[in-house]
Parts: sequence; C-alpha cells; structure tokens
Amino acid sequence: MSQQTDRAEQVKRLQRREGWRRRLPLVPALVFTIVVTQVPFILSLWYSLTEWKIVPPEPRNFIGFSNYVDLLDNRFFREAVWTSIWMTVSAVLLSLLLGTLLAILLDRKFFGQGFVRTLLITPFLIMPVVAGLVWKTQVFNSSFGVLNWLLDSLGFERIEFVTRWPLWSIVSVLVWQWTPFMMLIVLAGLQGQDQSVLEAARVDGASSRAMFFQITLPQLRPYLELGILLGSIYLIQVFDYVDVITGGGPDSTNVPYFVFQRSIGGGWQFGQASAYSIVVVIASIVIATFGLRVLSNLLEGEKP
Amino acid sequence: MAEVRYENASRIYPGTDIPAVESLDLDIPDGELLVLVGPSGSGKSTALRMLAGLEFVDKGSVYIDNEDVTLTPPQDRDIAMVFQNYALYPNMTVQANMGFALKQQGVPKAERAERVREAARILDLEPYLDRKPKNLSGGQRQRVAMGRAIVRRPQVFLMDEPLSNLDAKLRVQTRTELADLQARLGVTTVYVTHDQVEAMTMGHRVAVLKDGILQQVDRPRTLYSHPVNLFVAGFIGSPAMNLVEVLSEGTNGLRLGSLSLPLDEQTAHDLAARDPGAITVGVRPEHLRLGSEGIAGQVTVVEELGSESYVHITVEHQGGPLLLVVRAEGETMTQRGDNVQVSCRGPVHVFAPNGERIGA
Repeated sequence: MSQQTDRAEQVKRLQRREGWRRRLPLVPALVFTIVVTQVPFILSLWYSLTEWKIVPPEPRNFIGFSNYVDLLDNRFFREAVWTSIWMTVSAVLLSLLLGTLLAILLDRKFFGQGFVRTLLITPFLIMPVVAGLVWKTQVFNSSFGVLNWLLDSLGFERIEFVTRWPLWSIVSVLVWQWTPFMMLIVLAGLQGQDQSVLEAARVDGASSRAMFFQITLPQLRPYLELGILLGSIYLIQVFDYVDVITGGGPDSTNVPYFVFQRSIGGGWQFGQASAYSIVVVIASIVIATFGLRVLSNLLEGEKP
Repeated sequence: MAEVRYENASRIYPGTDIPAVESLDLDIPDGELLVLVGPSGSGKSTALRMLAGLEFVDKGSVYIDNEDVTLTPPQDRDIAMVFQNYALYPNMTVQANMGFALKQQGVPKAERAERVREAARILDLEPYLDRKPKNLSGGQRQRVAMGRAIVRRPQVFLMDEPLSNLDAKLRVQTRTELADLQARLGVTTVYVTHDQVEAMTMGHRVAVLKDGILQQVDRPRTLYSHPVNLFVAGFIGSPAMNLVEVLSEGTNGLRLGSLSLPLDEQTAHDLAARDPGAITVGVRPEHLRLGSEGIAGQVTVVEELGSESYVHITVEHQGGPLLLVVRAEGETMTQRGDNVQVSCRGPVHVFAPNGERIGA
C-alpha cells in the first residue's frame, strides 16, 4: 500500500497563488479608482460633519450631525427631494413605456428596419448639455421653438413652456433621451425569447393579446426591472439638463442641482452641501444594490 | 380523433428554389402513430410544422378530419404539439403550463384543475404541479410537455423529436411509455425523429423522407425487409445494410468475388431482363455468416454487444478493400486479425444504378 499524502495544504497554497495572479493586473485600476472616488467621498463625509463657509472665509468647525438634522427642517431641501423623485420616477416610467412600445414594433421584421433602429437610437447618443440646449432653444422657446411655431400656425397662443411647466419640460427631454436606452434593453429581452415557446403558445390557442400579456411580458420582467433601476441610478443625478434648461428655480431644482447651488453655485456652504450629496449617494447605493441583484438574477436566469 | 391528410403539399422557403418539402402525399388514418424519419435537412420537421400551421403550405393542401386546414392559423387547428426543447412557459408552474391551452379556450377553473390533475396522474407529475420548469429534471420537463399536449384532448398530437434531449437510458424507457400512452389515448399522432431505431420501435407506420421527398411509407417490418430504394435500405437498420457494387452478368446471377449471392425468382427474372452492368446489392448483417466457405477476409473490429456481436471484415473486392459487417453469436471467439470466410444465406436486395429496387 502506498502512503496517502494529504494534499489540502498544497492545494490551498496553489489556489492562493492563482488568486493573486488574477487579481494583480487589476490593482492599478483599483488604486486609481480609490484615489479619485473613495478619497473625495471620505473627505465629503468629513465635510458634511462640519460648518464650512468659504465666502467670507471662516474656519471649519466640527458640528457633528447638525447639517443632517437641519436637512429635515429645510423646506428648500424637501422641495428638491420631491422634484428629484418626480423627475426620476416620471422620466423612467414614461421612457420605459415608450421604449417598450418601440421595441415591440422593432421586434417585427419590416423593410428599413436597421435604418429605423439607428434613427431611434440617435437621441441617446447626443450629449446631455447639447440635448438640453437644442430642446430649450429650438423646441420650447416661445419665439423660435418648433412647438410654438406649430401652436401659432394652428391659431393658438404661444406658450413659454419652460417657464410654465419647468419640471415637465425637463422630463420630456429626459424621456426623449432615455427612451432609446429602454428600447434597447427591452428589445434585447424580446429577441432573447425562445421562439418555440411562442410557437407553443400559438398552437395552444393563445391570441396575440394573451401571448403578449401571459407569455412575453412576464418573461420581460427582469429586463423591465433592469431598465427601471439603471434609469433611476442615472436620472437621480441629473444636473446638466436642469442647469441648461431652467437653471434651477421653483419646481425644477432637484437635489444634485440644489447641492450645486449651496456650494460652488453661490451658496458656498460646503458643509451643508456635502451633507446633501451624501444623502444622494446613500439613495443611489440603495437603488444600485437592488439593481445589481436584478442584474445577477438576469444573468443566472440565462444559464440553461 | 381525426384522420390527417397531406395532398401534394410543398413548402418552399423564401429565397430558395428547392422545396424543403416537395409534393408530400400522405394519408394518416385515425388513431395511427406515424413516424416521419430522415436525416437532418430531409424536411421532416418542416412537414410537421406545416401540419401545425407554423409553416406556410406553398402548394397543395393539408386536411385534418377531412377539413381543409391549409390556411387555418395554428390556434384554430385543435392540435397539440410537443417541441424538441419542450418549449415550456418558463414563468408558469407545471399546473399553469398544462392548463394554459384550456385557459385560452375558456374552460372553467375547476374543470381545468381536474383535467390537469388527471393528466398529471397519468404522467406521475402530481408532486411537481407547483414547480416552475427550471426546477425540474429533463425527464420531468419532457413529461410536462407531454402533459400539456394530452390535457387538451386534441384531434392530433404532433411531436417534434420529443426524446432527443433525454439521456440514452431514459430515452428508451420513455419511448415505450409514449407508445403505450398513444395507444391508450388513441389519438392520431405524427412523430418526427432522426433516429431510425425510435422510428422502427414506435411507429405503426414509418415515412422515410430525404431532401424533402417522401421515399417510402410502410409498416416498420416491410420497410426493413423490402426497402424500395437504396436510400431507405441504407437508412433503416442498425448496423446498416452492407451495400456493395457488383457487376451483373444477366442470367448468370450475381457473384461477390467467390461468393454466389442467392436471389429469389422474381429478382433473378427482373435482373436477367436487364442489360449487364454495375448494380448495387444489399445484404443485412444477420444474413451473412462466418464459416468455412465463401469469400475470404480479415477481421478488423469486433463489436461485442453481449447478446450478439458485429464483426467487421475487410475483404478484397474489385481490386480494393471492402468492409462487410456480419452478425455473429454473442460469445464469438473471433478476434481482430483473424482470417475468416463469409457466406450469404439471403435475402439479397438488388438496386439499379438509379437507386430503385429490382425484383420483389
């Protein structure tokens, strides 16, 4: 009988070495990421616990959680939170709805499909600032805007859209830009469907309506969730559109813009502004955690 | 319960000139299990999908229960189909999967549940009714797909390679269960497979297709003993028939080297009427014998299956090596490298150069 050697120790050492061989190439990127994101974040955390004004320059005082406590009492902050919620929820849901409808259309074969798809994706490729400017000056504007030209030629009175509906003006630009994103996600879901399942449903006597609501839509669920979560993470931090289209003001100042106003935008209250931004970060982390869970479910679901 | 009929039915896919199925004429009586068999690309699945309504019929017609359904959409044909990958609805439980078709028909919930339970009992699926397909094994999924079909009590069952995703042992077991179930329910069934063993063991009749053209429809035994052409002869039977090209000498019969091939009267007569020339003869492995007479050769491989063994023998024929497969006893003493002699006890199948069978 040959002696049975216990290899556990050796195996463990080999695994450890293999693990480092894989991690090592990632280290530079990791260090860079920590330096440019985590260090400022920790500094912000610290600032949020201080009272710190630059103009006029005052020494930085540690005041504990007072900034956070004051948040709740601040009417402007509460309004900014509501604006953020409204803006994010309505833009995400509307773009998801429109994106789904477009995806269903694009899922069928028709002449010029590729061309139409490219056209539909284009809004997503435009820089946010440019999109905001184009809409503000060429669509909403009361003198030069297309919408007002249309109203005018139909005999209606001109409307200063941005002044009258600041929130919805921004939301419509957001929807215009984000519909293609949602469309692509849903389209991926539609095209990933097992064709034979649809055929089975047809043989089983399902009408087109029943097929969509009982077979397709439930299968799209993870994709819709993914769209909602990714969209929310991006749209909760919208800043450029607000700055370009309304420049803040009632009904259109969301939390990121409020943070800006309170700090480098003229308020110079870095302590308070840091506290606001921490709140946004926490909200984003909560949403992102859900988002990643959905994403991993989706990837697991694709394994046969 | 219904009769199914294909009348001159063709399917030509857009962008091609060659029909995937060409002028298919097939009559399937009520209650029969007909197997469509052929190699890949033979059009067997297309033919089935034409019956399901999932493929257009470009020429000809398809009838179910004497009703022309050529242009009827699948949902109105009263057929149930089992797909190769089962195509279960992933978001629904087993129960909902099986009850889906009934729900579409507007069958009341109580009756639906009762019929699903009944089918689940037949298929041993009762413990799994509340599971989702992804939590089932391959065999269970296959049975759910079957259950989805039988719950409907349709006029016709269509099965598109329903066993090909199962492992070998389960496949053999399910094969017999399926044939038994079909016989008990008595529902006309069209069954597609590429596996000729499945076709032979399950089919009441078997239709052999090649390149979209129907070659032969017959009972399995007839298909085996009287293949109408070279393709069917080579396709049906495992291991395959030995097919050898020889020179016909007219009235003098046929010889394979030193081996004289026994011919029945009709074949000998038909052969004598033809001009001498190259023809193909076919002999099944069980009709060849190892012994002390016949053509000499050397054993290259012995496949031992326990109950029998197949001996591969290389003989010299027309100046080149020729491989013959001979069936021998399970306990054969033959080994690789042995020099043996092969004789033939018939029957011998004879095919003309165009592949058609000569003689009876």
